[in-house]
Amino acid sequence: MIRSFILSFRLRNAYKVNTIIYALKSIPGIRKLLKDKLYKSKVLKIIGNIISILLEIINIFLGKLLYIFLMIFSIMTIYQTNSANTFLHIFVCLTIIGAFMNTYMFNPTKDKYYAMFIMRMDAKTYSLSNYFYAILKVIIGFLPFTIIFGKLSQVNIWICLLLPIFVAATKITVTAYHLSLYNKKGIVINENNLSKHLWILVILFLLIAYGLPALKIVIPSFILISLMLIMIIISIFAIKYILNFQNYREMYKQVLTNTNMNALNTNEVTKATVLNQITIDQEIKSKKKGFAYFNDLFVRRHSKLLLKSAKRVTFISAIIIGIVLLIITVNTELKGEVNRVILTYLPYFVFIMYLINRGEAVTRAMFMNSDHSMLTYAFYRKPTSILKLFKERLKSIILINLLPATIIGIGLVLILFVSGGSENPLNYLILFISIIAMSIFFSVHHLVIYYLLQPYNIDSETKNTTYTIVNILTYVVCYYMIDLRLPTLYFGLATIIFAITYSLISLFLVYKFAPKTFKIRI
Amino acid sequence: MKLEVLNLKKNFGNKEVLKDINFTFSSGKIYGLLGRNGAGKTTFFNCLNDDIKPDEGKFNMVENDRKRTLTIDDIGYVLSTPTVPEFLTAREFLKFFLEINEGKITDEKSIDEYFDFMKIAKEDRDKLLKDYSHGMKNKMQMLINIIANPNILLLDEPLTSLDVIVAEEMKELLRSIKKDHIIIFSTHIMDLALSLCDEIVILKGGSLSLVDGNLKGEERKNKIIELLKEVE
Repeated sequence: MIRSFILSFRLRNAYKVNTIIYALKSIPGIRKLLKDKLYKSKVLKIIGNIISILLEIINIFLGKLLYIFLMIFSIMTIYQTNSANTFLHIFVCLTIIGAFMNTYMFNPTKDKYYAMFIMRMDAKTYSLSNYFYAILKVIIGFLPFTIIFGKLSQVNIWICLLLPIFVAATKITVTAYHLSLYNKKGIVINENNLSKHLWILVILFLLIAYGLPALKIVIPSFILISLMLIMIIISIFAIKYILNFQNYREMYKQVLTNTNMNALNTNEVTKATVLNQITIDQEIKSKKKGFAYFNDLFVRRHSKLLLKSAKRVTFISAIIIGIVLLIITVNTELKGEVNRVILTYLPYFVFIMYLINRGEAVTRAMFMNSDHSMLTYAFYRKPTSILKLFKERLKSIILINLLPATIIGIGLVLILFVSGGSENPLNYLILFISIIAMSIFFSVHHLVIYYLLQPYNIDSETKNTTYTIVNILTYVVCYYMIDLRLPTLYFGLATIIFAITYSLISLFLVYKFAPKTFKIRI
Repeated sequence: MKLEVLNLKKNFGNKEVLKDINFTFSSGKIYGLLGRNGAGKTTFFNCLNDDIKPDEGKFNMVENDRKRTLTIDDIGYVLSTPTVPEFLTAREFLKFFLEINEGKITDEKSIDEYFDFMKIAKEDRDKLLKDYSHGMKNKMQMLINIIANPNILLLDEPLTSLDVIVAEEMKELLRSIKKDHIIIFSTHIMDLALSLCDEIVILKGGSLSLVDGNLKGEERKNKIIELLKEVE
């Protein structure tokens, strides 16, 4: 079994290392330094292995740290209940959910497929060795953090030590139950595709975990501890069942066959999702002509992605604005604070406008459902055609994004007025125009970088690291804006000037370079 | 009408994929382009179609003794995986294509006449292309390329996954249009190449070579295998 585990570990590590080298090669500048033969280089393999092991260690500990801190520790502080008891209450409930949602055994992954069906490794020894390794990682990963956060919550140290074993025991018990379901009824579980019943169970336990403490109700400690001990005892029998289960190959054949192995590739999933966004409504017609006709039908047949999404954002924005207006009308004490926020928090709206802009999702759909095919035709790749369609698309994207932007802009002006207003009437105007400018900026930005850096290849994979870097930078800059506090008047003016300048320069670049850059990446 | 390929070179890193190719293709013939996997057939097509930039080389069109540089208007590229805009119906796609090429298409017909020509059934004409079968999408792709009437048709394994009837229809179609076109047909299926193509061109070691047209039947087949097997 140990040999089987080492073999599978090496196999998994080999493609992790190759993925790391490939990622390094994709970085501009490094690409030319690293040749293909470096996949054979021992030094690079060793570096890749070290990175891979470091990632494995981070994976063991970091996830658990974030999980306990974010899902339990930081939330329990808002409840006015006994901290030790609340910690245990939430931990136990979430553990039960996790045992169904994160089984390892029933997660159809490519490495399982490669090992059992391509490399023809013995299914039972492969499954068991990797399963118990995963369980061991759970115990080791949880232990330091159940002690730290448990002690901070005043949980008894012995119980802190028991918690990781309880997590492992629950996972093992649920796994054995699912294996028995397969043995008795032929039911195959796929943790990525949970049944309705399991979703109900998940929601129920989420409500118990977070809802009951809000009502100042927590399950008494002695019940929780008894449950933990019972689960640990049951798991001993469950381990025996898992070890004796004989049909791993047969079961995985079904799990992995029911899962489209191509679909395990996230790119394939995205492709299928984007394709499904086409509305199959042939009643949708257009009276326009040429590229306007083509673009109009694209927009209408992707209304789920474009129009409906924009309408939803508009609706939610209107509700939030309405609530804020209501609150400050009822509670006049808040007016001053809200007024101050409106006059200094405009940078925050850069991030909000970034989030609600559908630019990247829209350009991806444009490629996958349209340009991916059309760019193979000579008539579509002519410079005049590229620019005509660009113009049509730009108009549509700007208009779609303007819908929520207008409501947000008007809403902010109203909130400013109701909360006490401003002595300088320019503040009203700048506030509204800057929101509109941000919306136009993001619409232009996403479409322009799509046309200038067209990142996708014929298989719809992103093959342009510069495009990825530009997207990450955009996010980072927008995120950074959250912490900026600047007077609305000055920041708004700067935003408007920047948006206009950026749009003009980038449109000039598109007209100059897009006929050369807008092609399928080979 | 001729297509001249002059001193075409393309490297990927240290790998020389196309080495100084010099070749002339003529209209009235279907050229079968054969080569082992990774020989560079798709790279050759991508260079012609301006999808990738060659390191060196030129493509010229020669018509009535006049020479000019090849443009993307000269090329129609039909891929093995059919490429059609899935969000349109076949009729809408054709309407859009005819509208943006208004005045440029010789002997323009009505949309339904084109469908009749391509044997696309009446009930399929208003279906979304997303719901078309592989073979039907391929027919649409071919139809657009035929109406666009480019001088050169590059076909990258276009018949491989078609059913027998559609494949025969496509073969007939190619034979019927070859007079006014240069057709280069890339395939791995030797019998298909032998039955359809007038000339067989081997891409090997980065160079193109024409198989002796005087050889017939088994002798020709054996020569092709011999050429493909030869150590570079």
